[in-house]
Amino acid sequence: MNKKKDILSLDEFGVEQISELLVQTDSFAEILKRDVKKVPALRGKTIINLFFEYSTRTKVSFELAAKRLSADLINFNASSSSLNKGESEIDTIQTINSMKNDLIIIRHGDSGYINYFAKNVAVPIVNAGDGKHEHPTQALLDLYTIYKNFESLTGLKIAIVGDILNSRVARSNIKLFGKMGMDVTVVAPSMLMPENFAGFNTKFANNIDEVIGDIDVLYMLRMQFERQERKYYPSLKEYNRFLSLNLARFNSMKKNSIVMHPGPVNRGIEISGEVMDIKISNTDKIKINTQVSNGVAVRMALLYYALS
Amino acid sequence: MNFGNLKSKSKENILIRNGCIINPKAQEKYKADILVLDGIIKEIKKNITCESADNIQEINAEGLYVCPGFVDMHVHLREPGNEEEEDIESGAKSALRGGITSMACMPNTLPVIDSCYLVEYIKMKAREIDYNVYPVAAITKSLKGEELSEIGLLVNSGAVAFSDDGKGVQNSRLMYEAMRYGKQFDALFILHEEDDNFSNGGIVNEGYYSAILGLEGISNLSEDLMVQRDIMLSKISGARIHITHVSSARSVELIYGAKADGVNITCDTACEYLFFNDSILTNYDTNFKIKPPIRSESDRLAIVEGLRNGTIDAIASDHAPHLLLEKNKSFKEASFGSVGLETLFKASLTKLFYEENLSLEKIVALISLNPAKILNIEGGELKTGSIANISVVDIESENIYSKDSIISKSKNSSFIGQKLNGEIMYTIVNGKSGFSNS
Ligand SMILES: [Zn+2]
Ligand SMILES: [Zn+2]
Repeated sequence: MNKKKDILSLDEFGVEQISELLVQTDSFAEILKRDVKKVPALRGKTIINLFFEYSTRTKVSFELAAKRLSADLINFNASSSSLNKGESEIDTIQTINSMKNDLIIIRHGDSGYINYFAKNVAVPIVNAGDGKHEHPTQALLDLYTIYKNFESLTGLKIAIVGDILNSRVARSNIKLFGKMGMDVTVVAPSMLMPENFAGFNTKFANNIDEVIGDIDVLYMLRMQFERQERKYYPSLKEYNRFLSLNLARFNSMKKNSIVMHPGPVNRGIEISGEVMDIKISNTDKIKINTQVSNGVAVRMALLYYALS
Repeated sequence: MNFGNLKSKSKENILIRNGCIINPKAQEKYKADILVLDGIIKEIKKNITCESADNIQEINAEGLYVCPGFVDMHVHLREPGNEEEEDIESGAKSALRGGITSMACMPNTLPVIDSCYLVEYIKMKAREIDYNVYPVAAITKSLKGEELSEIGLLVNSGAVAFSDDGKGVQNSRLMYEAMRYGKQFDALFILHEEDDNFSNGGIVNEGYYSAILGLEGISNLSEDLMVQRDIMLSKISGARIHITHVSSARSVELIYGAKADGVNITCDTACEYLFFNDSILTNYDTNFKIKPPIRSESDRLAIVEGLRNGTIDAIASDHAPHLLLEKNKSFKEASFGSVGLETLFKASLTKLFYEENLSLEKIVALISLNPAKILNIEGGELKTGSIANISVVDIESENIYSKDSIISKSKNSSFIGQKLNGEIMYTIVNGKSGFSNS
């Protein structure tokens, strides 16, 4: 029997395999441009969308991807009270394990728990985000978006700005971008960085102005003041001064550079209202909507990979 | 494999032949027989002949090592309150399986051991099974860190030491008053060093692995700051302090300095800290979720060095039983702690003897004589006239440690799947066969 193809992170994928996935995503993106946006690639397969943590965007994106591939998709409501969290989650997994299915997409709020599930079910697991750990499909869709905008990935300068400490998107992207030969700088204040930053093998800056004029890709992370577990960052005013993308900074960016964000954007926090307002008119530079549409194609490619 | 009848009061006659005796006090080993009559060590010499008593049980210890019964100074027995995880009797069995004949149990039970009647309850339960359990009482009432327990009365009722294990006393003034008052009774303080401001919300060591795994970190500062504080408080108050489960390099360094400075301080580490580093977290196995967290390799090396040069006086298990239910959760939600009575000797032997070349005499001192001296209790020596507490061990065997072999009610061991050297062959407790591995 072949080893089941879990996608818990992109660590196991080599550069060539990633490149192949990008090319495959192209063909799925083509399908999405057709009138009939559907292929029979996964007809007869049953996929379960299991979200222990609330997220409409990612859930919908996976659902579209599965349906475009003609798979049957079951959304499983897995909300559980914090009181019986661990037990009810194990029960849910056991229930789902006993149902007929071919693949399970899981999101969970705690780092690493999906790795545990993967060990206890027979079908492939796709990680749709686990705690502060990994978000591999987001990383690949971000890479794909960059890949479609530049001739080569090697040497591209990217700055990832904001709350690195609490971001699974940052963890997955830093690893993937580095693997693909990009020149990554992380921009964050001390309290929004892991203390042992050296492990990430990136450059480091404290403030967005150090990098803004020199980069090809500006990747802004969500900053959720209210969700910081340890509230050490002083204020929004301070954040705006050192880390936000405002119009002046936007205008100082290089000619062919792009702006990305995993969404949803907190207007006035990571990105100012003025910049958000030109998002519609300037789609060449601000790629936030493109990321969302690329997400479906990338997830089609990954689901197809895991089930073929 | 069988356990003796713990509840029987009758002492036994045992002759251990041809073993190699380990004497941790003199740091020597030599071949000899040991004769136990009516539970008391009568003779230790070569070729003992014994016609006087019949019904002598003979143990052939050829190729085995005969050690003073091991002493574990940091154990959670969960009784009263959480007997489904462990109770005093099941804990004693687990301990006998590990060659341990005496243990000090921590007060974070339900209710907390902060009153004399609870100290007496533990002692009574231990007497019923003729096992040596030494209750440690809480420094503060209900472990709340707000008011001191009745330290004087608790000393009188037989509390062997005082600890707010599991939490640590956050209030420096209260800790200082506890030490000044405890000094009047020559009380020993066993200190769990944790600054909550650095550890709240944290689940693993703050370092490279917490960063890449997305798990909240607990900085070494959480421990180091409190060790430094308590060294200063002890120096000023003169109280006897014992830092338990030392896990960080800087704490070892601070304690080394304090000893040189004449502070009345000793310390222990637990097996996990000398055996593992935080790279084992990558599979998110919740049996590795313990407090203090398993630290980096440089910390582990400092712990080993501290054991070698005598800065660290003892190794304890910090046996912390939890039901599967509490561990089959995400890393964030799972409980802290791992069981350890049954692996105290094996894990120490595997790392320290086979990898780090510490002598067997030294290792045995770390898990018998030294903790007995710190607690000021019987044990840690084999001498004629004293009650027989003896562990007979094989150091040659090598096995993959399995969950199925665990005797404790709880199976949350960090050593499951590890290759461990050594095996406990016989444990004699209070002059009776407690455990035999045949
Ligand atoms: Zn503790
Ligand atoms: Zn403890």
